[in-house]
Formats: sequence, structure tokens, C-alpha cells
Amino acid sequence: MAETSFWTGSDQYLCDQELAQAFHMARTLGMPLLIEGEPGTGKTELPLQYAATLNLDLFVYPVGSKSNVEQFVARFDHVKYLRDSQIEVLNAQREEKGLETKLSTSGRNTDQLSDYILKGPAAMAYSTPNSVLLIDEIDKAPREFPNDLLYALSHRKFVMPESGQVIQTTEEDMPAIVITSNREQELPTAFKGRCIYHYIKFPEPAIMAEIVNKHYPKADEEIVKVAIDIFYHLRRLGLERAPSTRELLNWFKYIKQHAKKEALEKINKLEGIGALIKTQSDLEKVQQKLFNTSSSDFGRRSNFN
Amino acid sequence: MFESLPAKFKTYGLSADVRTLLLLRKSMEKGLVNTLGDIFLVLKNIIVKEPNKLGPFSKAYYDYFLSIQIGDGERLDEAIERSVTFQKWKEKFLFEDRAHEQWSKDDLINRFLDEVHLTSYNIQQIVDGKKIFEDDDPYLKDKPGNGSDQDERILRMAADYRGVNLEDILKRMEEIARQQMDEHSGGSHWIGRNGISPYGHGGAAKGGVRVGGAGGGKMARKVIDDARFFPIDMDAKIRDDNMDAALAALKGVIEESAQQKLDVESTIKKGLKRGGLFLPEMKDVIFEKMQIILLIDNGGYSMDPHIKPVMELFKKMKTRFAHDMEVYYFHNTIYDRVYSDVQRRQAIPIDRFLAHDKNYNVFIIGDAAMAPYELTRLSINNWLSIKEKFPKTAWLNPDSIQTWGYTETTIYLSQIFSMFPLTPRGIEQAILAMNKKN
Repeated sequence: MAETSFWTGSDQYLCDQELAQAFHMARTLGMPLLIEGEPGTGKTELPLQYAATLNLDLFVYPVGSKSNVEQFVARFDHVKYLRDSQIEVLNAQREEKGLETKLSTSGRNTDQLSDYILKGPAAMAYSTPNSVLLIDEIDKAPREFPNDLLYALSHRKFVMPESGQVIQTTEEDMPAIVITSNREQELPTAFKGRCIYHYIKFPEPAIMAEIVNKHYPKADEEIVKVAIDIFYHLRRLGLERAPSTRELLNWFKYIKQHAKKEALEKINKLEGIGALIKTQSDLEKVQQKLFNTSSSDFGRRSNFN
Repeated sequence: MFESLPAKFKTYGLSADVRTLLLLRKSMEKGLVNTLGDIFLVLKNIIVKEPNKLGPFSKAYYDYFLSIQIGDGERLDEAIERSVTFQKWKEKFLFEDRAHEQWSKDDLINRFLDEVHLTSYNIQQIVDGKKIFEDDDPYLKDKPGNGSDQDERILRMAADYRGVNLEDILKRMEEIARQQMDEHSGGSHWIGRNGISPYGHGGAAKGGVRVGGAGGGKMARKVIDDARFFPIDMDAKIRDDNMDAALAALKGVIEESAQQKLDVESTIKKGLKRGGLFLPEMKDVIFEKMQIILLIDNGGYSMDPHIKPVMELFKKMKTRFAHDMEVYYFHNTIYDRVYSDVQRRQAIPIDRFLAHDKNYNVFIIGDAAMAPYELTRLSINNWLSIKEKFPKTAWLNPDSIQTWGYTETTIYLSQIFSMFPLTPRGIEQAILAMNKKN
């Protein structure tokens, strides 16, 4: 029976209510969940945390510009196959010459085609009931990749190359499939149609405080508040690359090393801001906008909130 | 069931069809749909496939299921307040043993939203919060009620929701869709009587469960108020806010391919090292090709306002992708030369321009409007040779498409080149046309 309980997050991971619902729906219907949203909003974390808390097998396929369905499902290792068959010839020759040592094929047999099949994450997940399959950053893939996946995903069945062996799963044993995308390219409509879609909206300050608390449970309330306040202020400046949750957490890691008073000071002076702002032009913009207004002004604003 | 749903949702620019209904039905069979709020969630996850469809979707939902039409730029609260649905609901809500209570307008709207967006998840949350419900025992009636009256009511309602069968649900839904919101026997409609809300604000707070105002209603409100959740105007001239859409369209010119190829050199080298045992060595080859020529008419005031956004657009393109892009300028039309600088001092003879590789995508950006005598035979011949040389050529015209028919030279040039408006949608169409020719 598929794992279809309603999962709402773990100690380290605050799962947004809507996301939890979409994820539940996807698992109940046996469809992949496609998550889009700004970078650093915890898209990839969802399946990782889900698998970890429920102790399920996790298979990850990080997508890149060279991804193809073969890597994702399974491919036949022609190189190894050729090597082993050559080794057979060589061994025969060596025997003729009276040499005793033999070259090894590490137990593979060239008559056994399935020895040469390298299973990709998809084939592994489909042969493990109730596992979790993460296809990360599918928008980085070549344009035809999502369409190639369609067949595989909707038929719950893969045919292994060369050997013809079939790996299939039922709706009940279907792995929970999570696909993430940063929207760097539009995905084909037909592909999206086969998925349950969820767009992660950027969390509100109150939720953000909860997220920070999940990661740093001992953090001082006031420091969290001031840091988050400044964080959202930076996001409103209209930067080229607005800081995300991940970056806030990194910055916070730096801040929290210091005693409270020192930490507050560091926040107001935007120390360690390199963790939040990633481009030169953004940095200039921040400096111009925040420090042209006198710095005491800035401090007052954040203490006020 | 819901036959009219796809048509209604289509009027809001959403794609909904028979498959949508099938998926909805399947969700019902799987027990995902028990309340009106559940329908909102389920349909949202099925229909909305990009963030800027969330706005139209919310509007369509309110229109279809609640007969609440939200006008352009109108806030959700306003739309709800003036709707007949809300008035009827309010009457009933206040009539029920609440006549003596004071309810502010905002409280009422919040309450209404809570009831509309109440989901099975909320119910489950309340129930879990009470620690009375066992996960595997949906029929709570049998358990001794050891709480207050209110607790009992909550449990009764929750049990009621989880116990209903599919046909009942379908029937209820149909009633909503048909707007039969008047007197019915208790519990057969979602909004009205004690109806759909098994909790009170006090009750929820007592159980320590956050429900009121925090759920779907709040989200719907936010979505309706935020332009980011509505589609950008694809037919508007390129500005900062629809630049990304234009950029996305422009990405279509990139030819991208990835494959594994036999690496002959390394196969031989390693084979020799192995003493003549040649094993194929593979290498990954990625091709990302984007060759672009921009041919911009920068003569005259009519073109001035368009040049900056166009350059900005292609500059962004350049920073994001490795590629080959050249820009040339002309004034009104091309005679025997184009220019490589904005001031039009560095002349490039047309022959040299035509010597470019024929795989370049050529975008001509200009209003094509000039005095008829300017478009001489020589000029026309040059346009024709550009078209012949570069099969992937498109003319992007910043003037609005309605005016094209009034200028003789525009009509003439649009017969030579495929002409598209300089808008995100125009660029998208131009690129589709370019790619089709190959």
C-alpha cells in the first residue's frame, strides 16, 4: 500500500500547508509533484526530509544540461560489454601461450546481458515499493528531456535496454515522485499536465521566523526578529538576485556565533552580508540605498519593528 | 457533473477539459474531496500550472462555485461583500442563535472565507488537536463524548464529513454549482445553517489549532491582490515588467543538443597504451548555438523609444548564454550599406553583411514606415537578398498592428518579410515561424 498519510514536515523542515496538501494529493493519485518557486525556498528539501522522517528509500536524479532518459532509467554499458568480450579472447590467447594468470571480468558473464545494465534512479525507485524519487532542477535539462520522461512516468513501466527486461510498478507501490524546477525554462504543457503542480510562494515573515527556529532552536527571539526584518527589507529593494531562505539561514549561522548585543550590532551594520547579496551591482545598490540614508536611521527602523 | 466547469474556466484563460474532470473525479474517489475548500485545493493543483494562473483561477473558482464575480482591480473582500451569496449566507448565519452577538463586517467576511475554504485537512487538524479521533476510526459517534457541547458538535460534524459517500458529495456539489442556496434540509448544502463549519473561533482556539483566517481564505485574498499571480500582458510593448516573458520567448532561438560521441583520439591513445586493446572511449558533446543579427532602424524620433528596451532584452540574453550576436543599424531602409555603430558612421557594405553564415537568426526591428519614394528598387532588391540569404529572418515592428495597414511601405515590406509586433507574444510567434522553416 502506498504511503499516503498526510505529512506536514519534520523537526528541521517546516512544510508549508499548501505544499503539504499538494504533496498528499500527488501521492494519493500516484502522480508526480512538480514544485516550482524561487531558488532557496526548500523545494529539494521536501522529498529529502520526507524520506528521512518516514525512513523510506530515496533516489535522486540531479538534472543537468547533459541529462537524458538513458541515465535516468537505465543504460546498457557497451564499453564494459566490449571489454569483457575482448578479455575472453585475450584469456584464450594467454592460455594458448601457457600463461596461467587470467584477466578478470569481476564475475560478469557476457552471456548474461543483464549484467551490463546500469540501472538509473528511476529504475531503482520503480523496483523499490514505496520509495521516494527526486528529479532535481528539471529546468536545466535539454528541451526534449521532459517529453521523453512523459511515457515513462505515465505508464509506470520501463523496458531495460538490450535485455528487454521489464521493470514496472503498480499504482499502490508507485514511488512518491517529486520534480523541482527554478523556472529557467518553460516546461512543455503536456508534461505539466501529467503532474500535480505547486508553486512555492515566498514565506511571510512570521513563517520565516518559524523556519529559522527550526534550524536554530536556541536562537534569541529578538535577534531573529531583527535579522528577518532586515532580510525582508533587502528583498524589497528590487535587487537583481533577491536573497532567499537558504541565504538567510547561512547569514544567521554567522550572526548567531556572537553574543546578543554584538549580534544585533552586526546585523544593523550588515556584517557578513556577502552571505545574502551575491552580485557586485546588488551590493552597490544596497550600500547606496541603505547607507545613504544615515545609518542611525536604519537602526531605528529595524528596532522599531 | 460539472460539465460546464471547463467552459467557465476557459473564459478566465485557464486550460480545463475532460481530463480535468476525470482527475477531479478520481480525487473524489480517493477521498480527497469532502468540502468546498477541498475542491479549491484539488482543482488548483490540477489546473494551475504556473504562478500567474493563480489569480485567474481564484476568480474562476469564486465565480463558478459561489457566483461571486471579482472585477478587475477589485479586492476579494469587496467582491464578497456585494455578492448575493454572501448576503444570503449572512442572513442565515446571523439568524441562527447569533442574533444577539456582535459581528463586525470584517469578522463576517473572515468567517465566510473560513467556511468556504474549510478543507478536510483543517478538520483533521482540529480533530487531531482534540486528540480524540483515532487515525483509523472515522466514525467518532461511537466514542463516548467526554467534552463540552461544543466538542461534541465538532466531532459530529467531522464524522459527518468523513462518512459521506461519493454520490452524496456529487449531489451537494451540483447544488452549489446551480446556486440552490435557499432552504434545504440541514447539512445538504455547504454554506448556510450550522452547515459547513464544525468549529467556532473559540472552539478552534481552545483546541490550540490554528485554523481561523490562516488558511485558504487568506491565500485567496493575497492572490487576488497581487499582480504577480495574474498573467502579464503578452501583447503590450516590451517594458521592464514583461521583459522576462519576452526573454523566455527569445530563448527559443537557442539550438541546444547534448549527446555522447565516440572520442576517436582518446580511444586510439588509450588503446595503444593497453597494448592494442581498443575500447571505445566516449565523450559528452553539448551544443548550444545561438547566432543572432539585430538589424535596427534607429533613424528618426519614431524609433527612439523602442531601441533601449530592445537592446536591454538582447543584452540580458547575451549575459545568460554563450553565443554570437551582432548588431547593425540603418535609417528607414537599407540601400547599399548598414552601419555597425549607433551614430551610423562605420559603414558596412551590404555585400559584407550578406557574407554572414546563413544560419544566423536575423531580427529586423523597425517601423517600416517611410516616404514611398525612399523605398527604391535598389533598396527592395537588398531586402530581398537578405531574405534569400537568411532563411530565419523576422521583422519586429514596434508600431501597433492596427496601424500597419495605413502605411504603404509597411504593407509592402510585410509582404516580403513575416512581420510581427514587438511584444512578448510577437517575439514568440516570430521564433516559432523561424524554427518552422527548418
